[in-house]
Amino acid sequence: MSATTIETSEYATSYLTDGFTLRSWLLTTDHKRIALLYLGSITFFFFIGGAAAALIRYNLIVPEGMIASAETYNRIFTMHGVVMVWFFLIPAVPVTLGNFVVPLMLGARDLAFPKLNLISWYLFIIAGMVVVYSLFVGGVDTGWTFYTPLSSEYSNGHVVATVVAIFIAGFSSIATGLNFIVTIHRLRAPGMTWYKMPVFLWSLYATSVILVLATPVLAMTLILLGFERIFRVGVFDPALGGDPLLFQHLFWFYSHPAVYVMILPGFGVVSEIIPAFSRKRIFGYNFIVWCSISIAVISFLVWGHHMFVAGTSIYSAMVFSILSYLVAVPSAIKVFNWLGTMHKGYIRFDAPMLYALGFIGLFTIGGLTGLFVAALGADVHLTQTYFVVAHFHYVMVGGMVSAFFAGLHYWWPKITGRMYPEMWGRLGALIIFIGFNLTFFPQFILGYLGMPRRYHSYPPEFEVLNVLSSAGATILAVAYLLPLAYLTWSLLYGERAPANPWGATGLEWQTQSPPLTENFDETPIVTDPPYNYPPPEVVPHRV
Amino acid sequence: MTAHFRNLLVTWVLLLVLLAAEFGASFLPLARSARPLILIPVVLMVAAVGTMFMQVGRGPTIVRLFAVAALLWLSALLGLGILDPMTRIEYHVQDASRK
Amino acid sequence: MSETSLPHGFQYSNAGHQSGTAISGMWLFLATEVLFFGAIILSWIYCRHWNPAGFDAGAQKTQLAIGTINTVILLTSSLVYSAGLAFIEAGNRRRLIQCCVITWALGFSFLILKFGLEYYKDFSANLFPGSDFAINGALGGGARLFYVFYFVSTALHGIHMIGGLVLVGWIILRARRDEFTPLYFTPVAVVGLYWSFVDVVWIVLYALIYLVGRGS
Repeated sequence: MSATTIETSEYATSYLTDGFTLRSWLLTTDHKRIALLYLGSITFFFFIGGAAAALIRYNLIVPEGMIASAETYNRIFTMHGVVMVWFFLIPAVPVTLGNFVVPLMLGARDLAFPKLNLISWYLFIIAGMVVVYSLFVGGVDTGWTFYTPLSSEYSNGHVVATVVAIFIAGFSSIATGLNFIVTIHRLRAPGMTWYKMPVFLWSLYATSVILVLATPVLAMTLILLGFERIFRVGVFDPALGGDPLLFQHLFWFYSHPAVYVMILPGFGVVSEIIPAFSRKRIFGYNFIVWCSISIAVISFLVWGHHMFVAGTSIYSAMVFSILSYLVAVPSAIKVFNWLGTMHKGYIRFDAPMLYALGFIGLFTIGGLTGLFVAALGADVHLTQTYFVVAHFHYVMVGGMVSAFFAGLHYWWPKITGRMYPEMWGRLGALIIFIGFNLTFFPQFILGYLGMPRRYHSYPPEFEVLNVLSSAGATILAVAYLLPLAYLTWSLLYGERAPANPWGATGLEWQTQSPPLTENFDETPIVTDPPYNYPPPEVVPHRV
Repeated sequence: MTAHFRNLLVTWVLLLVLLAAEFGASFLPLARSARPLILIPVVLMVAAVGTMFMQVGRGPTIVRLFAVAALLWLSALLGLGILDPMTRIEYHVQDASRK
Repeated sequence: MSETSLPHGFQYSNAGHQSGTAISGMWLFLATEVLFFGAIILSWIYCRHWNPAGFDAGAQKTQLAIGTINTVILLTSSLVYSAGLAFIEAGNRRRLIQCCVITWALGFSFLILKFGLEYYKDFSANLFPGSDFAINGALGGGARLFYVFYFVSTALHGIHMIGGLVLVGWIILRARRDEFTPLYFTPVAVVGLYWSFVDVVWIVLYALIYLVGRGS
């Protein structure tokens, strides 16, 4: 179990060797194989959304816009938003790491509904094909938020096609969330009470609550939008008696909790990595797990903060502003929990830990800047500027993407049976941190100075900051391509991984790497609390 | 007839009675803003179907957790959602008409 | 055959464990449906709030008789299906099949009345909110919005009903193949939950469509 010697172990049999035909992969109900199918899919969409981001930053190198007309630019940032939100960020950790790890962590042999799991992947693929089709025929120019009346009436883009793609992807999410909730309730190994579950499971549970309760509202919203666009009926058109804010209320009722879908799994991943690489029990377990649940609940009550300047009543705006400050509290508590875990721990700076530390720093900045925009008065100045863009990219990219890479590296040995090259892993984490800050920190300043978002050109005085941001984006691009390269390399040439390369606690590390199809030879029986590391005094560490 | 079948039948009769009540109430000359009170029998009917036909009391505890969660979240959607139109200052236009 | 020796999926400890999980899964799915229809209910509230006179004017042109008959049909179908479930729990396969067939027939009648008769009348009266909508003038906008709600919500409900008919039909087929016993009837219970829920949705829609805007 020591992490200092890595045994070479040949595992002739695993879930990867259990069938080599295409059919055995495309018709699998094994949660581990489905996780890999998803991993390939979301990586594909990540690079499409990334290509759009590259075009955005390339265009903004010069004030008049480098390549695109305003109309084209609108379609580019819409594509970036739609693909990144629905085809990367929302699925990412739950469908890849979640699908793979949840049954293992629970001591179960699979999810509650394995066939539903496969169906959810096929729904995702169908949705993906529709969105790729809609991009090929020209995309849509409304922004990922589809505000009416642009989306319902005036847009010349392919609104209906894009909306159909998102609708289908939504059902994929609901299926995944439903599966996780039922699995966590019903398939825990004997002895694993709720308070013995690792935090990652609590986080995915909270994520799944949001997925199942928020996504259906999006589904209905998109149906109404489609109906409005096709029949021009006026549900969202004030000239015909409708209310454009109805669309925004319905849209944000889903989309605000959706951003917590994007970040909660990241919290969970980091909550696994910090104890493992500090060799210490997580600090304040009860707090951190109940904070996950509180975030899931309160996240449903704050959506109006996206609509402060939209024309809602001031009383409604005030209520939403106060509630938004409330939702920040549990997230902040988690940051203290992670820091408390590291305090007096025996810390190793392996790649997963570097990514996790990057997450803590970047997420904290992003989260704090959320407080700026949650304040009514400040938001009037900051909304629709690059300040907001920087805020959400700090939490989503700096936070979530870092956490995704952290988890990917952490569980890579378990998933593939191979170790990635450690030096390259650490280098990648460092480059991401540098590239990310260079890309997005200038955007806080740009937003404060008043540069609006979603404009293909800008006043010349903003040029320097924009160039810095675009330079950072090229560094980020390298940082994202690097793991693609060395992780792929490791599949063929990486060292064989032992069952528990990190010496971590958790049931997933008690089985071989990669696991057998049925996960465990015998159903494990849980007696220990989670993160059962020896107390710090026992473990030697440098003074 | 066993108790359970009798309960099902009684529930059905209750549902029809509530249906008749709301049907009748819809013809009362209530003020426009008071007309949603007609929905009170609806709540009772939903409760009856949920408890007697769908047997929400049976099955694992999480069944009741899911049912309560659904109602709570629906309340959040409708409650916070109507806060805005109820408190928005209206700049009155004619009832909308098609051009 | 005792419950412990009934077949079950490999990830479950016994058949009862799997059965309880299936029931839980369906309830969770129904919770998602509550939010799905909840969104259009919010739209009903908004549209009626901003256009009270027109919205109710539209509601007054709905087919109250057909709607009420359909409500009685669905309530009865819920009763009958629940009875069928109780029958198979007591071991009476024949009665289960009879109840499911009656349920299916009632559901099918609902669809015929709704989409065959009522929609036909609505379209003939130019109540579809298209270019030649029947109500114009000051009340036209609100009435049009009412009919958006009416057509979208009843169409969606109808799609759910069709799904329900497929499921009940599947239960009939499986029951005829003698697959259900007093120890194993989980699919019957799960389909029953779905069927009764579709009934619940109709109970709410019925009042919002046919009753609230009537009178006055």
